[in-house]
Amino acid sequence: MKISIRRWFRRGAAVLACLGVATGFAAGASDPHYVVTNDDALSSNSVTFYTVGANGVLTLQQQVLTGFSGIGGGYFSANRVVALDDESQECVYASNAFTGEIVGINVSTLAVGGSAYGSTTDTGITNGIGLAVNAQYLYAGFSDFSTIGTFQVQPGCSLTFVNDTSVSGLQGGIVSAMAIHGNTLIATYNDGSIESFNISSGTPVSNGDKQNSTAYIQSQGATYPNGIDITQDGHYAIFGDTSMTTSIEVSDISSGKLTKTVSYDLGGVINSSNIMLSPDETLLYISNSQGDRISAAFFNANTGTLSSGCTSSKLINYVSSWSYLASLGLENTTGTGGVLYVAEYGATSGIAMLQVTTSGGTCSLSELSSSPVVDPNSPGLLSIAAFPPRSF
Amino acid sequence: MRTGLKCLLGMAVCGFSFVCSMAQCPPRPQPSTVVQDALTLYSQNGVLNAALALGHSIDSAGYTHFCYKYQQGANTAEAPTLRLNQGDHLLLNITDDLSNPGAQSKSAMDMSAPAGATCGDGGPATLQSTNVHFHGLNVSPTCHSDDVLTTLIQPGTPGFQYDIQIPSDEPPGLYWYHPHVHGFTEFQVNGGAAGALIVEGMEKYRPEVTGLTERVFVIRQQFLVPWVPGPYELTLNFEPTAPFEGPEPIIQMKQGEKQFWRVANATLQDFMPLQVWFNNVPQKLQLIALDGYPLAEPRSVETILIPPAGRAEFIVQAPPPNSYSIFTVLDYPTGPTGNPDTAQPLGIIQLSDASSKLALKVSASTVPTAGRTPTPPAATPKTSIPQTPPPQTSQDHLKFAGLKDATPTTQRNLYFSEEFAGTNGPIQFYITVDGQKQKVFEPNEKPMITTHVGAVEDWTIQNRALETHAFHIHQLHFMMLEVNGQPVANQDMRDTIEIPFWSGKGPYPSVKVRMDFRDPTIAGTFVFHCHILLHEDLGMMHKIQVLP
Repeated sequence: MKISIRRWFRRGAAVLACLGVATGFAAGASDPHYVVTNDDALSSNSVTFYTVGANGVLTLQQQVLTGFSGIGGGYFSANRVVALDDESQECVYASNAFTGEIVGINVSTLAVGGSAYGSTTDTGITNGIGLAVNAQYLYAGFSDFSTIGTFQVQPGCSLTFVNDTSVSGLQGGIVSAMAIHGNTLIATYNDGSIESFNISSGTPVSNGDKQNSTAYIQSQGATYPNGIDITQDGHYAIFGDTSMTTSIEVSDISSGKLTKTVSYDLGGVINSSNIMLSPDETLLYISNSQGDRISAAFFNANTGTLSSGCTSSKLINYVSSWSYLASLGLENTTGTGGVLYVAEYGATSGIAMLQVTTSGGTCSLSELSSSPVVDPNSPGLLSIAAFPPRSF
Repeated sequence: MRTGLKCLLGMAVCGFSFVCSMAQCPPRPQPSTVVQDALTLYSQNGVLNAALALGHSIDSAGYTHFCYKYQQGANTAEAPTLRLNQGDHLLLNITDDLSNPGAQSKSAMDMSAPAGATCGDGGPATLQSTNVHFHGLNVSPTCHSDDVLTTLIQPGTPGFQYDIQIPSDEPPGLYWYHPHVHGFTEFQVNGGAAGALIVEGMEKYRPEVTGLTERVFVIRQQFLVPWVPGPYELTLNFEPTAPFEGPEPIIQMKQGEKQFWRVANATLQDFMPLQVWFNNVPQKLQLIALDGYPLAEPRSVETILIPPAGRAEFIVQAPPPNSYSIFTVLDYPTGPTGNPDTAQPLGIIQLSDASSKLALKVSASTVPTAGRTPTPPAATPKTSIPQTPPPQTSQDHLKFAGLKDATPTTQRNLYFSEEFAGTNGPIQFYITVDGQKQKVFEPNEKPMITTHVGAVEDWTIQNRALETHAFHIHQLHFMMLEVNGQPVANQDMRDTIEIPFWSGKGPYPSVKVRMDFRDPTIAGTFVFHCHILLHEDLGMMHKIQVLP
């Protein structure tokens, strides 16, 4: 059944890809500056490009059909869309959870450059397909059978499948999120455990450091790592926890392996599954995924420690239009990142826009009056990415 | 929990497993026909002896549903209403006809055999296993009685005999029975496997019902895939309801009459604010009992909220001629992460002179019982509550009498909570005793609460989740004391109660209830849980042990 569906979608994809090229979705901008979504649409998935205008306000620029299908939901922390700003090419890659294809889109032309799929078990119907990319390889975490697919980045934003690696958590969990830095790939599993891999040869090879997180142990399974970010120097891995509070964990990975995480309970706002460091690494942005607001904690990149920062007010149209918050993006690649963007999942999905300010050891997060910008192409938006991406 | 694309997943994982199965369940009534009461079986000489088999079918719309089958000659009746008196024995033989090999595939949930499944057939707990919970009955939690922790009935075995001793002081009222195998309760209740059980004698405590024609309505709910909270269908005594402007079940009444309606919310997860409208105007209903326990005084209300598994018994006045009259459920807000419980009519109320013929009451003595436990002759079918008011009996003779004035021996705080790692899961559902670690139910777990026969405990139950939950405890009713820290106007006895969602800030919504463990009959180990059945199946449940 699954194979026939995949074939059907691939035939359709070929047609749609041709149509996309023929109609010439050219942005024409010499210095593109976008926030992009993986719309995760069920029947005809797409990536929607928003231009970043004055004061960080987003304007819908163009929808690019991937030619495949999403699932309209899944893990908060799986990055379904990632950006690559390499010396040789500028690409956005998006996953199609239902059929398993990874599609590359050329940012300069806003056209599909190519697509690839992994093995027959490489799909993400249950909870999506998370991505992580560097200049050589793209890694896809497939949630159905917990495999990490390795794809080689090719010119023209195309990909070729290399192989896939079966992974699982200490308790048999499924891969939920991934992040890469240098030769290290770090994964979270949905059972409270985490693991790092050596990707120097392309294919992930476990570093033998699979372990349950501290918060998972302390809570006896009630809290577990979900989203991941890694500091610019590769010294620390930071985990946003699925939790009844705002729970963050930090692991020293300077040895090349995960060490026991240090757990921070930062307050009462529910769930902290998505996180993102500011470009200057002074703030950690936290999407209170199950709640109605965004938090920020102060981060000391020298010590890897966190302290309480600030929390936004209730975001506009919570419940009436959307019900979950997910991935984060930033306007700028320097400082605290300028305007902070957050995916809002719901009947009317969109992107919230928040102004970040810091002063004298305090911070604030204020939603822009024009927020949110609606994503009319998404039945359930969970993943966004900024282009150009943060440098690490 | 919200939908997403779980429907696709659900079909891929499990939904197809029944496609080739035989239609085992009896045909169900067509839309827009007159609603009939279920076949009713009465106790005789202190005993109701009956045999039911659990089967399943797929209807023309593709819905898989389970059913309780009662063999009536060559015909099969579905989910009969069981009627007993205080002090009676219910001898109920349950066989498991879920023999379809295609049903072997399990759900996405990883379920294992309950430890100590030593009652009945034992073996692993699967979608094909079953048992029965007698919801609301204040009876023993031991093997052959109302035990859901150690009893398993497997396909292909001779069946299992329940022997329920109805206490002599059992509150008269409406109860219900349904499967309760951990991990699969929702599947089996989905759309079908549920029936009413009535302990007779309401008129002794609430003489207002004397002489009234009685209707027993069981509201069921079915999803295409049981654990996918997407579109669903409600049925009234198995007759499909429809959203507004669709064909509705027809409830007939005689002009000018009052009827005594006994309504069970046997849905999987629907919180139901019930109303009766005449020409779009809500009418006053005379509330007689909640959860099978007669109220201290009748109450005139426009809306009766019953959570999933709750029951309400009330008197309805027939509509005036030429009016548009409906029995309806209103919207109920279940919170940011809750499932939409939408308004819709449950039936159109029409005037008719034929209403006295509506209640289908067949003598169980006519039913062949080959291969099953013999069924004794049944009592004469009744069409209404006795005509002559009996002397009113004080509620002091009912179970839990004096609870209001009892001194609590223990105070406990419990709370509901949830965690989402994404929109589709994994989702953790917890009910926790404050101070203990949050964990999902495991069949081999130790009791989260241990108490003793004789204890009277006040429990404050908070909802720290962003959706409404329905608290239920087996083997006993509890007394309502407070809602959100404020004393309630009516200290009703309940066995299931809604606890509204937390908005995300401010105090957690809560109820405070009084638990009565003074009856030695209930010594043993049983469970408390959320009666949103998906939550229960996913572990929002724990054990309580009442030591002798």
